[in-house]
Amino acid sequence: MSAILTLAVKDLRLLLRDRVGFFFTFFFPLLYSVFFGILFSGTSKGPSAIPVAIVNEDRTSASDEFVSSLRKTSSLALDLVDSRDAAVDLVRRGVRSAYVVIPPGFGDASQRLFWGAPMRLEIGTDPGQAMTAGMIEGLVTARAFERMQRLFTDAQAMRDNARRSLEAVRSSTGLSGLQRTLLETLLTSVEALPDMFAAQESAADTQPDGTTQPALGGWRPVEITTSQVTRPTAAGRPRYPTSSFAICFPQGIIWGVMACAATFAASLLVERTRGTLPRLTVAPFARWHILAGKAAACFFTTAGLIVALLFVARLGFGVRPASLPLLLAAILCVTVAIVGLMMVLSVLGKTEQAVSGISWALIVVLAMLGGGMIPLAFMPPWMQTLSDVSLVKWAILALEGAIWRGFSPAEMALPCGVLLFVGVVGFAVGAGVFRWSEQR
Amino acid sequence: MLRLVGLRKTFGTVVAVDGLSLEIQRGEVFGLLGPNGAGKTTTISLAVGQLRPDAGTVTLDGAGSPADPHVRRCIGVAPQALALYDELSGEENLRFFGRLYGLGGGTLRQRVARLLDFVGLTERWRDRVATYSGGMKRRLNLAVALVHEPALILLDEPTAGVDPQSRNAIFEFVQTLKSEGRTVVYTTHYMEEAQRLCDRVAIMDHGRLLALDTVAGLLRRTDRPPTVILERATGEERIETADPKAELVRALDQPDVLGVRVERPDLESVFLTLTGRRLRD
Repeated sequence: MSAILTLAVKDLRLLLRDRVGFFFTFFFPLLYSVFFGILFSGTSKGPSAIPVAIVNEDRTSASDEFVSSLRKTSSLALDLVDSRDAAVDLVRRGVRSAYVVIPPGFGDASQRLFWGAPMRLEIGTDPGQAMTAGMIEGLVTARAFERMQRLFTDAQAMRDNARRSLEAVRSSTGLSGLQRTLLETLLTSVEALPDMFAAQESAADTQPDGTTQPALGGWRPVEITTSQVTRPTAAGRPRYPTSSFAICFPQGIIWGVMACAATFAASLLVERTRGTLPRLTVAPFARWHILAGKAAACFFTTAGLIVALLFVARLGFGVRPASLPLLLAAILCVTVAIVGLMMVLSVLGKTEQAVSGISWALIVVLAMLGGGMIPLAFMPPWMQTLSDVSLVKWAILALEGAIWRGFSPAEMALPCGVLLFVGVVGFAVGAGVFRWSEQR
Repeated sequence: MLRLVGLRKTFGTVVAVDGLSLEIQRGEVFGLLGPNGAGKTTTISLAVGQLRPDAGTVTLDGAGSPADPHVRRCIGVAPQALALYDELSGEENLRFFGRLYGLGGGTLRQRVARLLDFVGLTERWRDRVATYSGGMKRRLNLAVALVHEPALILLDEPTAGVDPQSRNAIFEFVQTLKSEGRTVVYTTHYMEEAQRLCDRVAIMDHGRLLALDTVAGLLRRTDRPPTVILERATGEERIETADPKAELVRALDQPDVLGVRVERPDLESVFLTLTGRRLRD
């Protein structure tokens, strides 16, 4: 144990002496987090195709047509799911950005004009994708009732259109007497409708239960209820990211810990190519101590980096974890996974340069697939499925689950289990394949 | 002290060590002499348990194989390739390797200070190794092998690439170690180093042991006669002769001879006799 600690302390000292390595390990992730946190702190342009789960509880021809019309919207990637719970779960786990529920009564409401309850829709969004929520609502509303809203919610426009049409009919010479009479009657009635709505709105009846029955003048074609997919914590507080920093810091952390893996993988190669590894192998301990020392250095650096960045996030940007025990579990699992990744990276090349190059190429791919660059929610469904192969996805999910998604221990089990599996298997495979000597 | 029996090691189709057997006595400076590629470094690696032999055994002082980490505690190795951390200072390198051998506290401090003084690096103890000259690094490389005060020290080409001043310093270190009763195995392809430092020398080539004896014993094996060298303005003339005295007398009669000297057969001659090649071919 003493030898392992001695080896680990040596590696930490070497890391501190390497200013460039130290910068990319500790300060680059911080700059990343702060830069993108600020960049996304305001609502900006949304994604081109937002993955949305839709639940058709109404199951009428009208609701089916509505689903079909939404499918034609290129800005939405629609996924029809069976139940509301399933949809909520998809959003909570970050698989979809939002869900839309078409509740029972949608079909009936779509048959009514100017009276009765409007068509209702429910939209739930991932608080982490706040900027997409308004976009989704707008797209759904526009798709469903774009034309109806334009015609029936602007009284002056309605009056003007009717008046202009009436004048055109009266001055027309190409109409028969019957046609002219019918059109004049219709357009005169339409012109009078807004005044009738206004009069009836002021005389809206109050129901015996105290609620107000919508008058014709207050009638709206569609009513959308929005909510955030959050859950209360033990303290009863709902969890959601207080700012974009709650999202960008986990991403920044991922870049930092991946840099740790690459740095320590290369350092193992440096030990071999610079001759210190042979000297270590003749020291009075087993060879696994050497790898354990490297793993310990990588472990401490990774854990220290995560803690340091979360500390900055807490003090500087108000990012508070939902659950400290789960956050510690997430940090542990991410760190174990990074140690395993480090060991695998160290056997992918024969030289320091080769390992560094391969490591960064692999890291970029893992980050791209796993949401380290572009949030998963912005990816098409097939790519979200593909992202399961990237430990970056599970690492971000574990950290976010503990920071703001409000994961339960059971929900944390999947990402943490995947990370632990990657760590243990990666280390075992890497250690088994590792070349101890330049010679074969 | 160290017994190698029937050692064989191959790398692919290359036979690096081929049936090597030898025994190194306690307190002696033992030379492994041979050209590059003779198998000296592989032999060292096998002797310290860094490589596993394909066949044969290595035993240290009856204690067991150096493959056992506990046995390695009494071995110090200064590898041919410098095995130091450039980003650490000389003192930090010594402390690090000392801790790996279980040293600590005042004992480690004293040993580090003494070794820095021993290899002449006391004034540069806080400087990073990256700023050291080649000779300084070589001396520190040697000091690291001594930090745990091993009974057996293996020095693999310790003077490779160093200036004459550092080379002489290393010679003095080896002689000091011998005077302290340590056992030293010294590999080199410089026959003059082996002649100067070693009690016994094993000559290796192509992984095989060609001869093993004291320097004097090896010199007796050569069939080469002494060489008389006549220095002229046009260059040197080398004359191998069984009667150097007569050749010297003849040289005195030649007015263009500016100088004369006699070279006795050396280990280079022995190697030439054994292999038909020169050491540095």
